[in-house]
This record gives sequence, structure tokens and C-alpha cells, in this order.
Amino acid sequence: MYAEHQTIETPHYNALTQTSRQCLSSQRAFHDQLNVKGRHIIAVPSETLEMLAAQVAKERSKQAFKKLFDHFAPRIKSFILKQKISDEAAEDLTQEVMVTVWHKAHMFDPKKAKLSTWIFRIARNKFIDQVRKQKYVEVNVDDHIQFVEADEKTDTPVIQGQDKKRITKAMSQLKDNLRTVIELSFYQDMSHSQIAEHLDLPLGTVKSRIRIAFQKLRAELGDY
Amino acid sequence: MKQEQLIPDEWIVAYAAGTLTEAKATLVATHISFHPELKEKLKTAEDIGGELLDSSEKASVSNTLFDKIEAALDRPYSSEKQVSSRPLTLEHIMPTKAAPAPLVDYVRLTGHQPKWRVMGPGLRQAKLCKGENGERLWLLKAKGGTEMPKHDHNGQEMTLVLQGSYHVGETRFCVGDLEIAADHIKDHQPMIDEGEDCICLVVTEAPIKLKSMLARVAQPFIGI
Repeated sequence: MYAEHQTIETPHYNALTQTSRQCLSSQRAFHDQLNVKGRHIIAVPSETLEMLAAQVAKERSKQAFKKLFDHFAPRIKSFILKQKISDEAAEDLTQEVMVTVWHKAHMFDPKKAKLSTWIFRIARNKFIDQVRKQKYVEVNVDDHIQFVEADEKTDTPVIQGQDKKRITKAMSQLKDNLRTVIELSFYQDMSHSQIAEHLDLPLGTVKSRIRIAFQKLRAELGDY
Repeated sequence: MKQEQLIPDEWIVAYAAGTLTEAKATLVATHISFHPELKEKLKTAEDIGGELLDSSEKASVSNTLFDKIEAALDRPYSSEKQVSSRPLTLEHIMPTKAAPAPLVDYVRLTGHQPKWRVMGPGLRQAKLCKGENGERLWLLKAKGGTEMPKHDHNGQEMTLVLQGSYHVGETRFCVGDLEIAADHIKDHQPMIDEGEDCICLVVTEAPIKLKSMLARVAQPFIGI
């Protein structure tokens, strides 16, 4: 048990280096290309964003950080703008999220979370802290899986790209009325009763739609 | 454990989306921290948030944003969480059992050390936060064998068992179990099981209506 614990607690960039040795040859080639010729790459496929985060953590690479900025900053701002705050406030919050990404990059572990999920949590918490002035404690969702997911074969960052496609597909397959309640929750920061008021539905209907939507998404996403 | 003693999925989605009040978010996070099954669900719900962020259309960001961020990277970084420098713990609240991590985090975030105060025969309470519309987050300690005062509800009451156990009718609530007592429930009378003190984390949305004259007289002073 102890040895497994040690394995999982290895700093992620070491894990990533280890992972890269085990990657498919095309992935390895791309990883090498990124290290050697990184400056020439303009479009960054999503599965490499985790590698860029590792470079930010390990090498404090501002070049890698700029690529993360190019990908995430416009999306973070867009996401925050849906919460009905001013353009200026959204940009200030985006700045804070990206600065946090820089300083906490060493805490991101691609074995435990997707980069987009990790950045989403930072953005959510910043929004609640700064706009709603509330405290929002976090749950360490990964502390129970450290013994069951110690197998390194499950750790490739390639999985992150596949999961992303599965979530996109699962969301697109939801009926409109189910997708709407999920989107109002995440995009508009609406509570169940606010959604009920907004859609002119009974509270119980909103709750059951969210429950059904979430169960369908979980079923589609399977056992990852 | 019966399903109804775990929080329904729509609450997990609401927590992940960041739409819960401070009191409910703290209770829900603490509840989730007891159950691997709920942590898995939360992981999926936060992945959905990550995907919605990542698939947001790109907003235009000002040309100077990256420069502003880059300039901020080298400045000393302080976490957004104003963690108290005082060593706040819950050891005096729960001396025989480790308090759940989200609750300990919450107390550190607030910077206020909760204290037990007499609430009635065999009953102690420690207030944690007062929210909008009369919502309160508090800890309840009841001696083994105590009959809680019979009461009606004006709003929802959520009770999470941290230590000991109690029962309502034939339903028993043990450590990690959550009871959600609906609005307008009549004659709610939890009975604390014999044995160790029962400690619960409670969210009440509105003052409860106590049934006995003595309890009603005492209510303004004990603040439930």
C-alpha cells in the first residue's frame, strides 16, 4: 500500500516523463517534436495541453504558458461572461485565473484530473470568491482512488483527449430540455429554484431533469 | 446504506456548478467527502464543467491581457483563500474523531473558532455561518439517548451525521448519512441513539417551530 501511495504522489511532471516513455510512438514523436521544435508549433492539439502545463510546472516555461493562455484565456473569459458580469470584470477574473494556473501548475496532476476540469475549478472558485463573496470549500475527489488507479497504463494523457470527445458527444446527445438545465446551472450560475423560475417549471421538475441529464451523461461516459 | 441517506445527484451537479449557498456547499462538500461513490459522481460533474468551459466559443481578449498577466507572474503570489494564521482546528469540537477535511477547511477560511453553547437539556450548538434569508450552518451535539424537541419546519433542514447516530421513526442515520427534511414537515422528532455523543452538521433554511411551550420560550435565546 505504501509503495503504491508513493507512486501516485510522485510529482506529475515525473509521472508525465514516465508516461511519455510508454506512449504510442506517434505520441512520443509529437512529444519530442514539442520539446525540440516547440517554437514552430502553432495549433496545439488538445491532448498536448497537459504537456504544456507540465512544462509550466517543471521548467517555468513562459512560452508554454503563453500557449495555455492562447487556448484557455478566451474560453475562460467567454465562460465567465455568461454569468452576466461586465467585460472588464470578466477580463480581470480571467487574468486572476491564468495567474493562479501559473502559480499552482505544480499541483495539477494529469493522472487525477483533466486540465480543463482543473482550470474550471479554479475559475469557479475565483468567481464565487470575488463576485459572490462566498467561501466554497473543495472536496478532494481523488484521495480514494490512489490505490485502485496505481496502474501506470491508465495514466497516458491521450485518455484526456478521448474523454473530452466522449463528454462533447454525450452532451450533444441530450435532449434540449435536459441540456438546458445543465447549461443554466454551469453557465448562468442559477440555483435550482432560479432555474425553475426562469423556465416557469415546478422545482421538482427541474430537480428531476438535472438528475436524469446527469445520469445519462454518466452512463455515456461509462467507467472512465 | 440506503440511497436516500446519500444526497441526490442534482445537488452534486449544483455543487460542481458552484450554485449552492455557502452553508449548503459546506455541508454537501463534507457529505461527499465521506463517500467514494459520491466523489466519483462529483468528478464527473466537474468534468462536465470543464468540458463546458473548454467548448465555450472564444471571447475576444484585449491585446494587453497577456502582457498584464506576464507582468503579474513575477509578483509574490498569495492564494485567494484567506487562511487564518491562527492554528484553527476542530479538536475541541470533535475530540475523539478527526473532523472531515472540508469542514476543517471551512473553519480555517472563516477564521472563526466555533464554540459549543448550551442549547437545551443534553444539547449543544456551535454556530458556523449565517446566510441570506435566515439560512444557518451550525453544529449540533446531543448526548446519547436524548429526545430532540418535537418540531415543525418552515424550510428545508439538512442534517449530516459526523459522529454517533440517531433515528427518526424506523430510519437510522449513522456517520456520513444525510437527512433532508422537507419544507413543512410536521412533528419531526429525531431520537439520539444510546452511547456516544451524536455530532451533526446542520443547515436550516428558516427557524423551526418547536412544539412545547418551554422550548418556544427558550428558542429566541438558543437561536435555532
